Amino acid sequence: MTAQRDRRNFLKTTALGATVLTFGTRISSAQNSESPVTANGGTDPYPIPWLDKNGSHNQPAGLNLEPSHIFHFKGRVARCSTFTGMGTDNQGNRIPFGSPTTDYGAMQGEYWAARSAQQGAFTHI
Amino acid sequence: MAPANQIHDFHPPISPSGLYWVVPVASDGLRFSDDGKTVTLEMKDVPVVDQPRWPALDSVATPARMTFKMVWKSTGEAVVFDDPGKQFRFTGTRASCQLQAKVEVPSIGFSWRSDDIETSKADFAVMGEEVNGRYYK
Repeated sequence: MTAQRDRRNFLKTTALGATVLTFGTRISSAQNSESPVTANGGTDPYPIPWLDKNGSHNQPAGLNLEPSHIFHFKGRVARCSTFTGMGTDNQGNRIPFGSPTTDYGAMQGEYWAARSAQQGAFTHI
Repeated sequence: MAPANQIHDFHPPISPSGLYWVVPVASDGLRFSDDGKTVTLEMKDVPVVDQPRWPALDSVATPARMTFKMVWKSTGEAVVFDDPGKQFRFTGTRASCQLQAKVEVPSIGFSWRSDDIETSKADFAVMGEEVNGRYYK
Protein backbone atom coordinates (compact mmCIF):
# COMPACT_ATOMS: atom_id res chain seq x y z
CA MET A 1 0.00 0.00 0.00
CA THR A 2 2.44 2.58 1.24
CA ALA A 3 5.18 1.41 -1.04
CA GLN A 4 2.96 1.60 -4.09
CA ARG A 5 1.71 5.07 -3.22
CA ASP A 6 5.15 6.17 -2.23
CA ARG A 7 6.55 4.89 -5.49
CA ARG A 8 3.84 6.59 -7.49
CA ASN A 9 4.37 9.83 -5.60
CA PHE A 10 8.10 9.43 -5.97
CA LEU A 11 7.77 9.06 -9.72
CA LYS A 12 5.55 12.12 -9.92
CA THR A 13 7.97 14.03 -7.75
CA THR A 14 10.89 12.87 -9.82
CA ALA A 15 9.23 13.96 -13.03
CA LEU A 16 8.51 17.40 -11.64
CA GLY A 17 11.85 17.52 -9.89
CA ALA A 18 13.71 16.72 -13.07
CA THR A 19 12.13 19.67 -14.83
CA VAL A 20 12.95 21.98 -11.98
CA LEU A 21 16.38 20.48 -11.53
CA THR A 22 17.31 21.00 -15.16
CA PHE A 23 16.36 24.62 -14.92
CA GLY A 24 17.95 25.00 -11.50
CA THR A 25 21.17 23.36 -12.60
CA ARG A 26 21.63 25.92 -15.31
CA ILE A 27 21.20 28.70 -12.80
CA SER A 28 23.55 27.22 -10.24
CA SER A 29 26.12 26.43 -12.92
CA ALA A 30 26.09 29.98 -13.99
CA GLN A 31 26.35 31.21 -10.41
CA ASN A 32 28.96 28.76 -9.11
CA SER A 33 30.48 26.06 -11.27
CA GLU A 34 32.72 24.73 -8.50
CA SER A 35 30.14 23.71 -5.87
CA PRO A 36 31.11 20.38 -4.29
CA VAL A 37 28.80 17.43 -4.96
CA THR A 38 28.51 13.89 -3.65
CA ALA A 39 28.73 11.30 -6.38
CA ASN A 40 29.29 7.96 -4.64
CA GLY A 41 25.93 6.41 -5.40
CA GLY A 42 23.24 5.31 -3.00
CA THR A 43 23.59 3.07 0.04
CA ASP A 44 21.08 0.50 -1.20
CA PRO A 45 22.70 -2.90 -1.76
CA TYR A 46 23.42 -4.18 -5.25
CA PRO A 47 21.37 -7.07 -6.63
CA ILE A 48 23.13 -10.31 -7.52
CA PRO A 49 24.30 -9.67 -11.09
CA TRP A 50 23.61 -13.15 -12.41
CA LEU A 51 20.24 -13.47 -14.08
CA ASP A 52 17.84 -16.29 -13.37
CA LYS A 53 16.09 -18.08 -16.20
CA ASN A 54 13.29 -15.50 -16.16
CA GLY A 55 15.79 -12.75 -16.89
CA SER A 56 15.38 -11.14 -13.48
CA HIS A 57 17.58 -10.82 -10.42
CA ASN A 58 15.30 -13.16 -8.50
CA GLN A 59 17.55 -15.86 -7.11
CA PRO A 60 15.96 -19.29 -6.84
CA ALA A 61 16.67 -21.29 -3.69
CA GLY A 62 18.30 -24.68 -3.62
CA LEU A 63 21.47 -26.66 -3.18
CA ASN A 64 24.53 -24.95 -4.65
CA LEU A 65 22.50 -21.82 -5.41
CA GLU A 66 23.42 -18.54 -3.82
CA PRO A 67 21.41 -17.87 -0.65
CA SER A 68 21.96 -14.09 -0.60
CA HIS A 69 19.92 -11.64 -2.65
CA ILE A 70 22.48 -8.85 -2.34
CA PHE A 71 25.93 -8.66 -3.88
CA HIS A 72 29.24 -7.53 -2.34
CA PHE A 73 28.05 -8.99 0.95
CA LYS A 74 29.53 -10.85 3.88
CA GLY A 75 27.45 -11.93 6.82
CA ARG A 76 24.79 -14.29 8.06
CA VAL A 77 22.11 -15.65 5.80
CA ALA A 78 19.07 -17.89 5.97
CA ARG A 79 17.15 -19.17 2.97
CA CYS A 80 14.14 -21.38 2.37
CA SER A 81 11.66 -22.32 -0.31
CA THR A 82 8.73 -24.49 -1.29
CA PHE A 83 6.45 -23.67 1.60
CA THR A 84 3.21 -25.43 2.30
CA GLY A 85 0.63 -24.47 4.86
CA MET A 86 -2.99 -23.54 5.42
CA GLY A 87 -4.91 -20.48 6.44
CA THR A 88 -8.33 -18.87 6.58
CA ASP A 89 -9.58 -15.72 4.90
CA ASN A 90 -11.97 -13.17 6.40
CA GLN A 91 -14.92 -15.00 4.80
CA GLY A 92 -14.02 -18.21 6.57
CA ASN A 93 -12.68 -19.90 3.45
CA ARG A 94 -9.81 -22.29 3.99
CA ILE A 95 -7.03 -21.35 1.56
CA PRO A 96 -3.66 -23.09 1.34
CA PHE A 97 -0.46 -21.14 0.77
CA GLY A 98 2.82 -22.01 -0.79
CA SER A 99 4.32 -23.21 -4.05
CA PRO A 100 7.78 -24.18 -5.32
CA THR A 101 8.47 -20.48 -5.79
CA THR A 102 7.34 -19.47 -2.31
CA ASP A 103 10.78 -18.61 -1.04
CA TYR A 104 12.22 -16.29 1.56
CA GLY A 105 15.66 -15.12 2.57
CA ALA A 106 17.30 -13.11 5.32
CA MET A 107 20.67 -11.37 5.24
CA GLN A 108 22.48 -9.51 8.00
CA GLY A 109 26.00 -8.12 7.87
CA GLU A 110 28.31 -5.93 5.83
CA TYR A 111 27.72 -4.95 2.23
CA TRP A 112 29.44 -2.60 -0.15
CA ALA A 113 27.59 0.39 -1.58
CA ALA A 114 28.29 4.07 -2.09
CA ARG A 115 31.98 3.13 -2.32
CA SER A 116 32.16 2.10 1.32
CA ALA A 117 31.19 -0.67 3.73
CA GLN A 118 27.63 -0.51 5.05
CA GLN A 119 25.86 -2.50 7.75
CA GLY A 120 22.33 -3.74 7.40
CA ALA A 121 19.72 -6.46 7.51
CA PHE A 122 17.44 -7.32 4.61
CA THR A 123 14.87 -9.87 3.67
CA HIS A 124 13.59 -11.27 0.41
CA ILE A 125 9.89 -11.99 0.83
CA MET B 1 6.31 -20.54 -12.21
CA ALA B 2 3.13 -19.71 -10.34
CA PRO B 3 0.59 -22.53 -9.97
CA ALA B 4 -2.54 -22.33 -12.11
CA ASN B 5 -4.83 -22.12 -9.07
CA GLN B 6 -2.98 -19.17 -7.54
CA ILE B 7 -5.39 -16.45 -6.40
CA HIS B 8 -2.99 -14.10 -4.60
CA ASP B 9 0.75 -13.43 -4.69
CA PHE B 10 2.19 -11.07 -2.09
CA HIS B 11 5.63 -9.51 -2.37
CA PRO B 12 7.34 -6.11 -2.20
CA PRO B 13 7.79 -4.20 -5.47
CA ILE B 14 11.05 -4.72 -7.35
CA SER B 15 13.29 -1.72 -6.61
CA PRO B 16 14.58 0.61 -9.34
CA SER B 17 18.06 -0.91 -8.85
CA GLY B 18 16.71 -4.38 -9.63
CA LEU B 19 16.72 -5.66 -6.05
CA TYR B 20 14.11 -8.35 -6.26
CA TRP B 21 11.47 -8.27 -3.53
CA VAL B 22 14.08 -7.18 -0.98
CA VAL B 23 13.27 -4.84 1.89
CA PRO B 24 15.29 -3.65 4.89
CA VAL B 25 14.65 -5.26 8.26
CA ALA B 26 14.56 -3.24 11.49
CA SER B 27 17.39 -3.97 13.91
CA ASP B 28 15.18 -6.07 16.19
CA GLY B 29 13.40 -7.87 13.36
CA LEU B 30 16.08 -10.45 12.56
CA ARG B 31 17.60 -12.45 15.41
CA PHE B 32 20.34 -15.08 15.26
CA SER B 33 20.53 -17.14 18.43
CA ASP B 34 23.79 -17.15 20.38
CA ASP B 35 24.38 -20.80 19.60
CA GLY B 36 23.85 -20.12 15.89
CA LYS B 37 21.15 -22.78 15.61
CA THR B 38 18.04 -20.62 15.24
CA VAL B 39 17.13 -17.63 13.09
CA THR B 40 13.93 -15.69 13.73
CA LEU B 41 12.58 -13.10 11.32
CA GLU B 42 9.56 -11.05 12.37
CA MET B 43 8.06 -8.08 10.55
CA LYS B 44 4.80 -6.22 10.95
CA ASP B 45 2.69 -4.46 8.32
CA VAL B 46 5.28 -4.67 5.55
CA PRO B 47 4.03 -2.76 2.50
CA VAL B 48 3.67 -5.29 -0.30
CA VAL B 49 1.59 -5.72 -3.43
CA ASP B 50 -0.82 -8.46 -4.33
CA GLN B 51 -0.08 -9.60 -7.90
CA PRO B 52 -2.29 -12.64 -8.53
CA ARG B 53 -1.13 -13.02 -12.13
CA TRP B 54 2.59 -12.67 -11.42
CA PRO B 55 4.90 -13.16 -13.33
CA ALA B 56 2.80 -11.66 -16.14
CA LEU B 57 4.19 -8.20 -16.85
CA ASP B 58 0.72 -6.67 -16.95
CA SER B 59 -0.33 -8.28 -13.69
CA VAL B 60 -2.22 -5.72 -11.62
CA ALA B 61 -0.47 -4.90 -8.34
CA THR B 62 -2.85 -4.04 -5.51
CA PRO B 63 -1.38 -2.43 -2.37
CA ALA B 64 -1.38 -4.82 0.59
CA ARG B 65 0.22 -5.39 3.99
CA MET B 66 1.97 -8.46 5.35
CA THR B 67 2.81 -9.41 8.92
CA PHE B 68 4.79 -12.56 9.48
CA LYS B 69 7.10 -14.61 11.66
CA MET B 70 9.55 -17.12 10.23
CA VAL B 71 11.81 -19.46 12.18
CA TRP B 72 14.78 -21.41 10.83
CA LYS B 73 16.26 -24.21 12.94
CA SER B 74 19.52 -25.88 12.01
CA THR B 75 19.52 -29.63 11.48
CA GLY B 76 23.27 -29.73 12.06
CA GLU B 77 23.98 -31.20 8.63
CA ALA B 78 26.85 -29.17 7.19
CA VAL B 79 26.66 -27.77 3.67
CA VAL B 80 29.07 -25.64 1.62
CA PHE B 81 28.20 -23.96 -1.67
CA ASP B 82 31.28 -22.49 -3.34
CA ASP B 83 31.16 -21.07 -6.86
CA PRO B 84 34.30 -19.16 -7.92
CA GLY B 85 32.68 -18.30 -11.25
CA LYS B 86 29.82 -16.53 -9.53
CA GLN B 87 31.96 -15.35 -6.65
CA PHE B 88 30.05 -16.70 -3.69
CA ARG B 89 30.73 -19.09 -0.84
CA PHE B 90 28.11 -20.22 1.65
CA THR B 91 29.12 -22.21 4.73
CA GLY B 92 26.35 -23.41 6.97
CA THR B 93 23.85 -26.15 7.64
CA ARG B 94 20.59 -27.42 6.35
CA ALA B 95 17.63 -26.26 8.36
CA SER B 96 13.92 -26.54 8.86
CA CYS B 97 11.82 -23.44 8.37
CA GLN B 98 8.28 -22.58 9.41
CA LEU B 99 6.14 -19.55 8.79
CA GLN B 100 3.01 -17.89 10.07
CA ALA B 101 1.63 -14.86 8.31
CA LYS B 102 -1.25 -12.47 7.96
CA VAL B 103 -1.99 -10.48 4.81
CA GLU B 104 -4.47 -7.70 4.20
CA VAL B 105 -5.64 -6.08 0.97
CA PRO B 106 -7.72 -3.14 2.27
CA SER B 107 -9.01 -1.94 -1.10
CA ILE B 108 -10.85 -5.21 -1.77
CA GLY B 109 -11.67 -6.00 1.85
CA PHE B 110 -9.60 -9.17 1.84
CA SER B 111 -7.54 -10.59 4.64
CA TRP B 112 -6.04 -13.99 5.33
CA ARG B 113 -4.32 -15.50 8.31
CA SER B 114 -2.29 -18.69 8.34
CA ASP B 115 -2.70 -21.48 10.84
CA ASP B 116 -0.18 -21.69 13.67
CA ILE B 117 3.47 -21.71 12.70
CA GLU B 118 3.93 -25.36 13.67
CA THR B 119 1.58 -26.45 10.88
CA SER B 120 3.71 -25.07 8.01
CA LYS B 121 6.88 -26.42 6.47
CA ALA B 122 9.48 -25.64 3.83
CA ASP B 123 10.97 -28.41 1.71
CA PHE B 124 14.32 -26.62 1.48
CA ALA B 125 16.12 -24.42 4.01
CA VAL B 126 19.69 -23.51 4.89
CA MET B 127 21.31 -21.09 7.32
CA GLY B 128 24.89 -19.98 7.82
CA GLU B 129 27.41 -17.43 6.59
CA GLU B 130 28.16 -16.15 3.11
CA VAL B 131 30.68 -14.02 1.28
CA ASN B 132 30.18 -12.82 -2.28
CA GLY B 133 31.38 -10.20 -4.75
CA ARG B 134 34.27 -8.13 -3.48
CA TYR B 135 34.40 -10.14 -0.24
CA TYR B 136 34.90 -13.44 -2.07
CA LYS B 137 38.49 -14.61 -1.87
